[in-house]
Amino acid sequence: MAPTRLASKPIGVNENLNGIMTHGITTRSKQLATLKSYKDSLKAPNKRKADSPLKDMTAKRAAFGDITNAFNKSTANNDKDKVMGMKKVTVESKLLPILKSVKPQTAAVNGKASKTKQLQKAASNAIESVQKHFAKDPPKLVATRAQNGILKNIDKKEKSLIKENQNQSQSSAKSARSDASGEPSLYMTALENMSPNDATKEGYKVISEKLDKVNLDDTANRSLDEETGTPHEVPDGVPDFDKENWNDAFQVSNYAMDIFNYLKNRERLFLIDDYLVRMKGITSWMRALLVDWMVEVQESFELNHETLYLAVKLVDLYLTRSSKTQPEKEHLTKEELQLLGASALFIASKFDERIPPLVDDFLYICDGAYTLSQLLKMEMTILRVVDFDLGIPLSYRFLRRYARCARVSMPTLTLARFVLEQCLLEYGLLNHSDSKMAAAALYIALRMKSLGSWTPTLQYYTGYTLKDILPIALEQNATLHKKPKSAISTVRNKYSHTIFFEVAKVPLIDDSVLGS
Amino acid sequence: MQKYEKLEKIGEGTYGTVFKAKNKETHEIVALKRVRLDDDDEGVPSSALREICLLKELKHKNIVRLYDVLHSEKKLTLVFEHCDQDLKKYFDSLNGEIDLDVVKSFMYQLLRGLAFCHSHNVLHRDLKPQNLLINKNGELKLADFGLARAFGIPVKCYSAEVVTLWYRPPDVLFGAKLYTTSIDMWSAGCIFAELANSGRPLFPGSDVDDQLKRIFKLLGTPNEDTWAGVTQLPDYKPLAAYQPSLGLAQVVPRLPARGRDLLTRLLTCNPALRMPADDAMAHAYFHDLNPSVKNDRC
Ligand SMILES: Nc1ncnc2c1ncn2[C@@H]1O[C@H](COP(=O)(O)OP(=O)(O)O)[C@@H](O)[C@H]1O
Repeated sequence: MAPTRLASKPIGVNENLNGIMTHGITTRSKQLATLKSYKDSLKAPNKRKADSPLKDMTAKRAAFGDITNAFNKSTANNDKDKVMGMKKVTVESKLLPILKSVKPQTAAVNGKASKTKQLQKAASNAIESVQKHFAKDPPKLVATRAQNGILKNIDKKEKSLIKENQNQSQSSAKSARSDASGEPSLYMTALENMSPNDATKEGYKVISEKLDKVNLDDTANRSLDEETGTPHEVPDGVPDFDKENWNDAFQVSNYAMDIFNYLKNRERLFLIDDYLVRMKGITSWMRALLVDWMVEVQESFELNHETLYLAVKLVDLYLTRSSKTQPEKEHLTKEELQLLGASALFIASKFDERIPPLVDDFLYICDGAYTLSQLLKMEMTILRVVDFDLGIPLSYRFLRRYARCARVSMPTLTLARFVLEQCLLEYGLLNHSDSKMAAAALYIALRMKSLGSWTPTLQYYTGYTLKDILPIALEQNATLHKKPKSAISTVRNKYSHTIFFEVAKVPLIDDSVLGS
Repeated sequence: MQKYEKLEKIGEGTYGTVFKAKNKETHEIVALKRVRLDDDDEGVPSSALREICLLKELKHKNIVRLYDVLHSEKKLTLVFEHCDQDLKKYFDSLNGEIDLDVVKSFMYQLLRGLAFCHSHNVLHRDLKPQNLLINKNGELKLADFGLARAFGIPVKCYSAEVVTLWYRPPDVLFGAKLYTTSIDMWSAGCIFAELANSGRPLFPGSDVDDQLKRIFKLLGTPNEDTWAGVTQLPDYKPLAAYQPSLGLAQVVPRLPARGRDLLTRLLTCNPALRMPADDAMAHAYFHDLNPSVKNDRC
């Protein structure tokens, strides 16, 4: 099989290069194979569509579909960005420029002969073909993800618990997972992109389903204050959010306070230090590129945000700890940085996702720069360095809790999420605890929307006074004010989309507003 | 694996055999669970990954302790504290009826282990007698976290294919993917009844429909009045409208009234009304519990 990467030869890439290049050039033979599998793929899932709960599928797909638009990153910001002209908007097969000297592998998916893998590969190929058809609105790797749902090599345990009444269209043992029926199919994905410009009823339906999906995440906020509303004023003390929600089982109200206290207590076990001072050859800019790419993967694979946040934590924890304990010559090199990121996502997916993507997906998105055995080895290395402890408190979780307790609206919560996610890229902020980062991000969001200041309610539920978080909020604000760089614009683009209430477009505020 | 000497096979796990083994240096007896890692595969299986991560975190006297994880070329070996047997085997070895004080003690320890999991944001999702380990001195420990997962607040949709059929709650039988700590409380209820009946399973259904039928025959078929939203569940199907049967007295004849009351609260079809573990521990049924169990002694 021919290498899929063309531009893996060093093109004078250095860490200051302002562009991320993708090497999405396909060979002829691949294109041919692609065409066939694309046709097949349109046929096969047809049946699946019939026996799967469509509701679920659209919800799952919806959150993703239109974001594709957001991927048309602005190019040509400066000369160096010109290389991005050929940049594909999808995440697959991307080799970060920091990886200049990695030798190309023979094939992105190791040429394994197992059926799953072949199909897997076919699915990947099919996407490219679909893209050619609908260049305007290219569907993304979601299709591969969909195939996962069908082909997922489930562990025996889950297999043994498969619903008894299940009617699988595919009888292979590996496919026997009824969960899969809730996943989007390639068919659906392709359909969704058939008429990208057609702002028909369908389109509105999709949008409203997307909004549903967003709200689903935060059911309690649905009926709460509209965007114009202010957070509850609590002159007579703090409302007891958990009591009020006692009958909503999904809030796990009876344990919520315990759990968040526990998580806050654990934060000190996962401190991240200024590890770059110990490392040669890796810079904060490279880290930013890496995290930007990880956000892209999160979107493309439709991963939970928790998975993204956990993976980024694993990267930083790994670098913190390994650079302390290992001799310098064993430190991670910049060529291995993307391997670290992919492996971290691989681990985090297995920990948090209902249906994690397959290992081949992760190899594929690195454009075959790494072998299966490299990835599996890195997986084990990370797990050992973090001592198999993945119960890491995440800012994303704290933020949701704070926002709910303070009855913040979805758009405001989303704005705070944007702030947090933008700050994921910021090496200088890594020394702050996740619970404080979440509180500070929420504070900025409230100020940006002129929704008032820090309330006793927020103070109670976060455990932080304004004084505690203000310095961090100022640092976060400085991050937001940085001149946008096209090479790390994924978060901004993502949150510019309507599904995210276009919160990235909310005007920034001065530090003076935060301090007032 | 020179550190441990294998003694005997004690169980067949989902991803490997469980061995009793001895630490050659300390002579400590442990249980080894092996996880094979095929080059060809997906790396560490997610069930093993979760079991390891969650058990590393959950250190409690009613949860089996994971001492160590050994890694070699082709396998992971999980080193657990060794327990004398699992509850299923204990049932099988019973001559005659179980002592009701033992029932109370086991049930309390089960709830205490569960409360610990739940307050540390972990769902077990596969509670059954085989996964409860016991010691001769009367300790009980939750084991097999291969299906467990950490949950967020509010919970998200998780897999509906969890919990062995007989111990699976009606909401999950109806395909609910949005569930929370209540999922384990149903299983705890089923195990409570099984304990009280010296190992006779309460709802030994043969398939999902049969399972639901057995449940509703005893507890009455739920409707929108008793359980708002039940008809909206993904796999909801209208079944015969059984009235609640005469009561639990016939089903768990040896259990005193307070015990039956607790059982009723655990075996509540509507997950939102099912009693959580910490409340269950405070139930009147446990007021006369042997203090050595209640205190940290056991
Ligand atoms: N720590 C232990 N001490 C004693 N027996 C054990 C121990 N762990 C497991 N076993 C036995 O092995 C069986 C299978 O173990 P389990 O952890 O349930 O494996 P799996 O998760 O693969 O199903 C249990 O039912 C029990 O009988």
